[in-house]
Amino acid sequence: MTAALMATTPGGLLLVLAVVVPVIGILALWLVRARDIEWVAIATLAVNLFLSLATLQAVRASDAPLVYLVGGWLPPLGLALRVDGIAAVLMAMTGAIVAVTALYARGQFGFDPQGPERRRPMVFWTMLLAITGALNLIFAGEDLFNLYVALELLTFAAVPLVSLDGSRDTLEAALRYLVFALAGSVLYLLGVAVIYGAYGTLDLVVLSEIRGAEGALLLAIALMTAGLIAKTALFPLHLWLPPAHAGAPAAASAILSALVVKGSFFLILRLWFDLLPPGLGTIGANGLGLLGAGAVIVGSVLALRQARLKLLVAYSTVAQIGYLFLIFPLATGSEAASPFASLAWTGGVLQLLAHAFAKAAMFMAAGLVYEAIGHDRIDGFRGLGRLAPITVLTMTLAGLSLMGLPPSGGFSAKWLMLSASLGEGAWWWAVVILAGGLLAAGYVFRILMPAFSTPDAPAERLHPVALTRELAALSLAVIAILIGFLPLSPWPLLAIGRLIQVSP
Amino acid sequence: MSLATLDAATLYGLMGAVLVGIGLYGIVLHDVFIRRLLAFNLLGGGVFILFGVIARRGAGAGFPGDPVPQALVITGVVVAFCATALAITLIERLAAKDEASDGDDHS
Amino acid sequence: MNALLPIAALFPLALFVLSALWPAWRPRVARLLWLAPLPALAAALFAIGGALALPGPLALALDFPGAMLLGAAGLIWMAAGIATLAFWGEKLETLPYQSWWLLTMTGSLAVFMASNLVTFYLAFSLVSLAGYGLVTRDGSARALRAGRVYFTLAVIGEAFLLTAFVLLAVGTPSGSIAIPDVVAALAASPLRDAALLFLLLGFGTKMGLVPLHVWMPPSYTAAPFPAAAVLSGAAVKAGVIGLARFLPFGTALSGWGEALAIIGFFSAFFGVAIGLTQRNPKAVLAYSSISQMGVIAAVAGMSLAGGRAAAPSELAFYALHHVFAKGGLFLALAAIAMTGPRHLRPILWPAVVVALGIAGLPLTGGALAKLAVKDALGDGLAGLLGSLSAAATTMLMLHFIVRARATAASDTSAEAPFAIRAAWWGAAAAALLLPWLLFPSVAGNLRKAVEAKSLFALAWPMLLGGAAFMGWSRLRHRPELPPGDVLVLMRPATTRFYRLADRIAGMEAWITTWPVAGTLLLLLAIGFAGAMLAAR
Repeated sequence: MTAALMATTPGGLLLVLAVVVPVIGILALWLVRARDIEWVAIATLAVNLFLSLATLQAVRASDAPLVYLVGGWLPPLGLALRVDGIAAVLMAMTGAIVAVTALYARGQFGFDPQGPERRRPMVFWTMLLAITGALNLIFAGEDLFNLYVALELLTFAAVPLVSLDGSRDTLEAALRYLVFALAGSVLYLLGVAVIYGAYGTLDLVVLSEIRGAEGALLLAIALMTAGLIAKTALFPLHLWLPPAHAGAPAAASAILSALVVKGSFFLILRLWFDLLPPGLGTIGANGLGLLGAGAVIVGSVLALRQARLKLLVAYSTVAQIGYLFLIFPLATGSEAASPFASLAWTGGVLQLLAHAFAKAAMFMAAGLVYEAIGHDRIDGFRGLGRLAPITVLTMTLAGLSLMGLPPSGGFSAKWLMLSASLGEGAWWWAVVILAGGLLAAGYVFRILMPAFSTPDAPAERLHPVALTRELAALSLAVIAILIGFLPLSPWPLLAIGRLIQVSP
Repeated sequence: MSLATLDAATLYGLMGAVLVGIGLYGIVLHDVFIRRLLAFNLLGGGVFILFGVIARRGAGAGFPGDPVPQALVITGVVVAFCATALAITLIERLAAKDEASDGDDHS
Repeated sequence: MNALLPIAALFPLALFVLSALWPAWRPRVARLLWLAPLPALAAALFAIGGALALPGPLALALDFPGAMLLGAAGLIWMAAGIATLAFWGEKLETLPYQSWWLLTMTGSLAVFMASNLVTFYLAFSLVSLAGYGLVTRDGSARALRAGRVYFTLAVIGEAFLLTAFVLLAVGTPSGSIAIPDVVAALAASPLRDAALLFLLLGFGTKMGLVPLHVWMPPSYTAAPFPAAAVLSGAAVKAGVIGLARFLPFGTALSGWGEALAIIGFFSAFFGVAIGLTQRNPKAVLAYSSISQMGVIAAVAGMSLAGGRAAAPSELAFYALHHVFAKGGLFLALAAIAMTGPRHLRPILWPAVVVALGIAGLPLTGGALAKLAVKDALGDGLAGLLGSLSAAATTMLMLHFIVRARATAASDTSAEAPFAIRAAWWGAAAAALLLPWLLFPSVAGNLRKAVEAKSLFALAWPMLLGGAAFMGWSRLRHRPELPPGDVLVLMRPATTRFYRLADRIAGMEAWITTWPVAGTLLLLLAIGFAGAMLAAR
């Protein structure tokens, strides 16, 4: 089995390209004239999107994971890249969102020789490409230390985006984010050390074959999980997220909220479902679910209380991350043949996808609102619908998905997760999901109702906004809705290449 | 128990644990970013020593000394260095802002 | 003919898109607004029995009960559409008016054609949420307050319904989400009781069954007349079609049936009792809706208890009359408010007949509606309660006429625009006559409907109710209550929610301080390790 898994597959080169192309793009940014930076970056991201879609297609067509052995060295000595069904889906999601964000950000950080901060465009586009490469590496990585490096790259690329405008508040938010994330990384690294000490290898495929129920493995997974949830901003470790995501420029917030937190979440999924021996995680999985439930409730209540749109959307991210962690108790408690064939697995992945698209659209819309009326205080939104109809439409569609109204990705996710919890008799998770939906309806209502109402005095639009930027945000919201048209049953694609196929 | 009964690996392991303990204490309880950052470096140092211990034990492959953890430590040190550099930059920028705004307050 | 189904559902939506994208079309859309339900009427006539799968998880189908309600809802939307052009005038040429109207209409019509759980939930949500825009159309503080209550209850009702639907789907071994499949599997499902409970909670919220009725009186009072007409006439029937579609009438479930009947009768009398204390005729009509929906719930309950397979048609028939009667009376109120004493008579007298028709005035359409559900209620206690509820309704309707007359315009020669009067007369005619056309295909024999025994069964409660009203109106100190009754009791709950939210926010502020979060990080690492080692 090892030999079969551990050989470079025909499409394997795609994985190397997916990791290398963003890096080449970054290098190219330094070689071109300042005014061409945008175009180089956008072209790179277009290539990246193509590569990620090709990867997804290759995995679907071959019904097997893509593998590439770097330099032909076999693990444990060599590093392997491996993309299975779920990783391919997430890579494609990342490719699409980053590409659209680039279109949205065009002109935002454009070359402005008289501007106060001439390095901003360079920083933004470099970091955007770096995040893309780091995420691709996280999705394709197979070696726990390699993943550690990718995780750190991701954090280092995300932190500068937070403080892009250089104000005191955002600098402090960035620092808070960085240092808390570093504390999380050290716990992860400690886990890596323990695993290497116990098994002498860090390759996930090899590990999943030789590991038993050793204490060292469990201790390592516990340490790594704690570190990763700090990076994912799961309640109660979300202290850094709202100021960081609310303070960043809209295009950056979209990436941070939609994608960056998903990187570390993906690693938790891998640890719990690929590495942890089946049956040992029940209590821990329920613990993760409990934290997720806390996130859903506390995040939604806090979102309901915010006066500013961007903070509201940031707290909504805290809540939506909570739903993702309900996968752990629901998929491990499922009676399906394997966790990956369960409703909860597909529901969770759908939630991840729907949230990524809807939240990116929401943050972009928030940025457009700010440009249109010069502030993002919700009580000043009256008449927004007339000023910025496309933006309000974007917020509406994204909001529908966040609330979980059909047809939308959010609804499908909610439906599958509710089905999983009620089918397993674990109704308490259903209560959390429903309560979260009610509170989400409340905060979406708070944004949209003033926006739809007619103003007392017709307000003036401050700045014209390029139609392409509005359409970029809208396209993401539309994708969040379209995800709702995918079948409401477990997808075989998401089970391709998972390491533990049958739970005993 | 005398020190002689400790072999080098155990001693290093204990040192690593002490460093990790001090680092965790500092990163959680200090309220200034620069101190938290120093604590992070101590913490990281503790973990790297742990890797050293593991290399010494040659745990995985049965070598007298395992080269892989050393490679990992070197990479890890580079990563930690980058993190520190990034954090220091942010702290400096923050301090510059604070000085500027203090100046405004007094004027 | 199957193609009529999606056209019926999507035509109002297409008009909305047209109006949203091309402002130049808005004046034309405003004038065509009353024609938007036309494809739905065609579908109700020609596409019965049709079924069609749409992209993704959506599917439409039309059975006979659905077609009756679809046609009725289409007609009342049409009548209200005619009235609304005269009522709102140029305002109707703006996007907010058109969009809320058309979106609510889309949901309201599609819900009768939805053939699987997701489509039903989509249509149900659309009619419920878009209805918010109609409730708050005049933008006053009172309307916004009513709108908040409306929205809250709508969202809660949807959460109930979503739970019920997921339980239905989980309990269906084949994995199908088609409504007939899930209902067929319901009786044997281990989740049956939970599914039924949440179905009743979800549809009960929409129908305004006590105590989930609190949204209805303030909303109908705040909504402008044409909006109230479509909300009370058409939108509420989403709950009725829900009961008709989802309750497993094929199997007798006496416990659930009787429980539903008790709630229904309680609502029926509660609605009348509180309605009598109201001064605003819109609020009186709202409480009458609560009462009538209670009767429908009671009939559904007794049918469920007795395992009556014919129940969906009977329920739909009863509701069909209510569509025209209640929707029409709101249009009548619009006409009365614009009409002075001189021209009042041709408006008021039809209102008297239609209002008493709701109580079962012999030879009206309402009488047929009562007769159609008579068998379901039977001759026992339920039958008696049914008759007594008719007596109570008689009282409430007489009270309504008195209150409505008091709202006539003070200018003696004022006269409502012809469109509004025509819309009202049209609805009144439909309420009185349409049931005669459909009665044979629901309950059979028309001759039985006019025999003396039936006439007496209908007449004595009315006489009783009339006499009771005489006595009531002699009372010197009649109680008066604000619309919304138990809403007053909910205010402490709201305060408690805000206090809880404050406490959660306070806790969150503490958790997100650095030392606390750092400590939690370490504790979580230790906790996970402990949990996994313990499980070993």
